[in-house]
Amino acid sequence: MGFTLEAVEEIASLHGEPDWLRKSRRSAFDAFERLPMPSRIDEEWRRTDVSGLDVARFSQFEHANGSGPRRPTLPKGVIYEPLGVAVQNHPELIRPLLFSQVSADRDRFAALHAAFFTGGTFLYVPDGVVLEEPILGQHFSHQGGTAVLPHTLIVAGRGARFYYLDEYISEGEEAAGYRSGSAEIFLGEGSEVGYVAIQKWGRNAWHLADQRARLEKDSKLRLFNVTLGARFSKTRVEASLVGQGADAELKAIYFASGEQFFDFHTLQDHQVGNTRSDLLFKGALQDVARTVYAGLIRIEKGAARSDAYQANRNLVLSDHAKATSIPMLEIDNNDVRCTHGATVGPVDPQHLFYLRSRGIPEATAKRMIVQGFFGDVLERIPFEQARRLVETELEARLG
Amino acid sequence: MATVPKVDVGTDYKEKYGFFVPEDFVFKAKRGLNPEIVKEISWMKKEPEWMLKFRLRSLEIFRKKPMPNWGADLSVIDFENIFYYLKASDKQSKSWEDLPPDIKATYDRLGVPEAERKFLAGVSAQYESEVVYHSLQEELTKKGVIFTDTDSALRDHPELFKEYFGTVIPPADNKFSALNSAVWSGGSFIYVPKGVRVDIPLQAYFRINAENMGQFERTLIICDEGSFVHYIEGCTAPIYTTDSLHSAVVEIIVKKNARCRYTTIQNWSTNVFNLVTKRAMAYADATMEWVDGNLGSQITMKYPSVYLMEPGAKGDVLSVAFAGKGQHQDAGGKMIHVAPNTTSTITSKSISKGGGRTSYRGHIKMYPDAKNSKSFVKCDALLLDDESRSDTYPYNDVDAENVTLGHEATVSKVSDEQLFYLMSRGITRSEAETMIVNGFIEPFTKELPLEYAVELNRLIQLEMEGSVG
Repeated sequence: MGFTLEAVEEIASLHGEPDWLRKSRRSAFDAFERLPMPSRIDEEWRRTDVSGLDVARFSQFEHANGSGPRRPTLPKGVIYEPLGVAVQNHPELIRPLLFSQVSADRDRFAALHAAFFTGGTFLYVPDGVVLEEPILGQHFSHQGGTAVLPHTLIVAGRGARFYYLDEYISEGEEAAGYRSGSAEIFLGEGSEVGYVAIQKWGRNAWHLADQRARLEKDSKLRLFNVTLGARFSKTRVEASLVGQGADAELKAIYFASGEQFFDFHTLQDHQVGNTRSDLLFKGALQDVARTVYAGLIRIEKGAARSDAYQANRNLVLSDHAKATSIPMLEIDNNDVRCTHGATVGPVDPQHLFYLRSRGIPEATAKRMIVQGFFGDVLERIPFEQARRLVETELEARLG
Repeated sequence: MATVPKVDVGTDYKEKYGFFVPEDFVFKAKRGLNPEIVKEISWMKKEPEWMLKFRLRSLEIFRKKPMPNWGADLSVIDFENIFYYLKASDKQSKSWEDLPPDIKATYDRLGVPEAERKFLAGVSAQYESEVVYHSLQEELTKKGVIFTDTDSALRDHPELFKEYFGTVIPPADNKFSALNSAVWSGGSFIYVPKGVRVDIPLQAYFRINAENMGQFERTLIICDEGSFVHYIEGCTAPIYTTDSLHSAVVEIIVKKNARCRYTTIQNWSTNVFNLVTKRAMAYADATMEWVDGNLGSQITMKYPSVYLMEPGAKGDVLSVAFAGKGQHQDAGGKMIHVAPNTTSTITSKSISKGGGRTSYRGHIKMYPDAKNSKSFVKCDALLLDDESRSDTYPYNDVDAENVTLGHEATVSKVSDEQLFYLMSRGITRSEAETMIVNGFIEPFTKELPLEYAVELNRLIQLEMEGSVG
């Protein structure tokens, strides 16, 4: 199977997908054919080189059937199904939302994802329902040379409250492959959602993902990204605050080593007033790793009394790592509070000296400093289970 | 200072400066841009062959380069509807008395003679496209300082000129530097010899005074080892009905241990497109400071930059932008760290009101060799009403080891607490807001010579009076 129209039809047939989804896939495929490969003349891709990515090489699907979630016992009314199944059982819920936030026309990779996505999950938590246990979605890749394109769709009803974890896992080191892991999150009035995505694909993977949340009145999102895997990883993290009182917390940690390249583009889109967003992306770089962070706070005309914060902190641990940080503001209303900051710097020699003077070997001291650097943001991981998972993972990688 | 009636800056140039001096040109080129016009300019100026070739090559580059696809909207500029060269009088005046009366009248309104009496070393005033008035204190000449207009420098100091001209900003740098390179005229040329300190600021007034007239001045400053100079560029312009283009190129070379400060107060009328390339090369332990104030123009795109070429070089940009109705100030700064142990700071203060838009756009680049370098950027924006807009676009690229880079920005309105405090002491709302705005830009004002600081405070006051009910 290649990335062809036939493949689109085949995927659709395999799942007996309804006509509207077939159509959506076909139109995304048109966009995929139409849109050029992003190049360095596009502002968003100036520092992000995809010239070495030939997607056609990876047109073998690993999960043409879709990967299904494990089903915990859930309260009545909660829907938690593989997306491929859910589109048939609950078209009325999914049709208006699927790809309404993560648009297929955005670029060639978004189009590819929308045309060929397989697997992924649909979670619907009805009004007023609170899930105590976090829901864990795992997406595996078992071999190289393939495409793994899961899509997560999360819908929180009024006052619903729950946690969700997307974990992207490679089993062992494998050859290059194409991975996406996009998520659309809809937060109904007064709902509270904690979403964590942990990306630990193999070190040869290409990973391109779009996460976008839409926050209604008084809803609260705590979104946390952990990026550790892939050779090339580009993640867009975007939140639209469309209802008064909406509150988005967007946090991330990343640890780039070897020849890894990580790119993050973030958007805090305050469409209405009395909204709040708080972003903190913290990363450590070592060896010849490179990272790009570019984020925008946009306060639209009527969005008075918005409060937005954005910070990107980079700890550079080696001589040859490179970090780019571009925190941007577009403010169209005066009654706001907007602050942002960016730093790029090495381990503070005084910190290192302090630890060394207490007999701690340099390597251990450095590790402690990195752990301390991530420490304050790790506390913001919305739920215990994910926090432990991330800590273990970091421990192993810093070791 | 001359007493000037209080009027709303930006709209009432006629009353404020009484600027409509009848056009009386010795030579007036045709509108439009083609190799013939460029040849004519070069011929009029009796330039050497290499300069003509440089101009023609630049014109070709200009033709090939696309318009920038970022920043402000420049699509309304009609390059074919601009005069690329005008010359107001045939020869340079040696003293104030020799100036043609109408030009003198204009400067009188601007207070130039008073300024000169007070502390000016020399006045190199650009009227239309060529420097017509130029006076140099004997003392400067004795010290070996050259302060002249750029055209004369090409004629009188050909070796020095050729060695540095176009080396900091080559024509191919961007579309507008190519345009300037093709049709440049006027500007200042300064050479400060080794170890010489010029204690009094050198300054020039630039003016645009003909409808649809382009102004393409070209400034070149060379600070030899261990020297110091402060150059002040102030712009005012009368208002016209059609759009004007101002596209200058300023090149500065600051050699070992030297220090250069370049102060600009840009107050073009609000129909001018101000698209300027300013760049300095700072060598070992040298210091370059840009103090850049943008108040006027319809659109300004200007990012003074410092290339820190050798260890110990230091760069500073202090930038203030004020955007009123219909204005877009797209300003900022660039620091390019090429060598180890270099430091830079950028401080930007911007104020938007009445639907104006200010954008900070900056770039910090640390090349792999720039070990142990430091850079800090701070941007503050003040929005005075809910129609106005402020943007921040800082690009930070770190490719070097052991460097520290920080960026901070805030956007806010005039704080209610501050207003309340002042108003509770019997100060009116409008006065209180003016005080807050003046306080906000104080770090900039205090770097200006007294006379400019006073003028700036007054301008802010006038702007504020126009806006606050």
